[in-house]
Amino acid sequence: MEERQYDLIFICRPDTPEPDIDKLISTLEHAVTEKGSKIEKIEKWGRKRMAYRVHKLQEGFYVYMVIRSSHGELVKELERRLKVSDPVIKYLTVRLDEELKRQDKLKRIRERRAARRPRKSAPAPAPPATGEQSAATL
Amino acid sequence: MAEENVPQQQPAPPPAGARPHSKPSGPVRRGKRSFVRKKKVCRFCVDKADFIDYKKADILAPFLQERGKILPRRMTGTCARHQRWLTVAIKRAQNIALLPFAAGR
Repeated sequence: MEERQYDLIFICRPDTPEPDIDKLISTLEHAVTEKGSKIEKIEKWGRKRMAYRVHKLQEGFYVYMVIRSSHGELVKELERRLKVSDPVIKYLTVRLDEELKRQDKLKRIRERRAARRPRKSAPAPAPPATGEQSAATL
Repeated sequence: MAEENVPQQQPAPPPAGARPHSKPSGPVRRGKRSFVRKKKVCRFCVDKADFIDYKKADILAPFLQERGKILPRRMTGTCARHQRWLTVAIKRAQNIALLPFAAGR
């Protein structure tokens, strides 16, 4: 199967001691590498205020990781683990490779177009207004 | 009976909503002083965004109403394509509590 890229974010209870979170991350890491998949990135965003209350908690400890895998089953397994583990209050997996592919494609098209016509007709001086406008509409 | 019906029908033909065709040089607009609505530009097109990141809540937040509704295109001036991406990004952000489903309490 083709390799796919996923974003995995999970939120732990804010009162979880950090060693526990590290332990959880390493078990996930182990689960990923075991199946011959890769972890591209792990970021601990730390304690953040959530936009709404989850389990009566206003804050959460965010952890973000990027995974490359060619086994779809892996995501299932990771989500199962996250669901079972106590400190995790919320998680989200997003498949991103198709969007990244689209992004690459658009970028290439733009570059090709830029190369074809190098005449730059007055780079728009308009942008500054846009921020105020959308603020005004609120 | 027939006579009564006729006068009733006669005033009907000119429809209530009928507007005179807008003339290019109306009496209200005088040359340069005509009212011009500021054209809204899609912010993502200005930035040449190929991808709207759901993780950047601060970028998405201005496109929400105070109560957490997604603002329509006609308010923000976002182009169709970017609005499509934007809604997906906002919905993802909502799911991981970066943005509210419904704000305020």
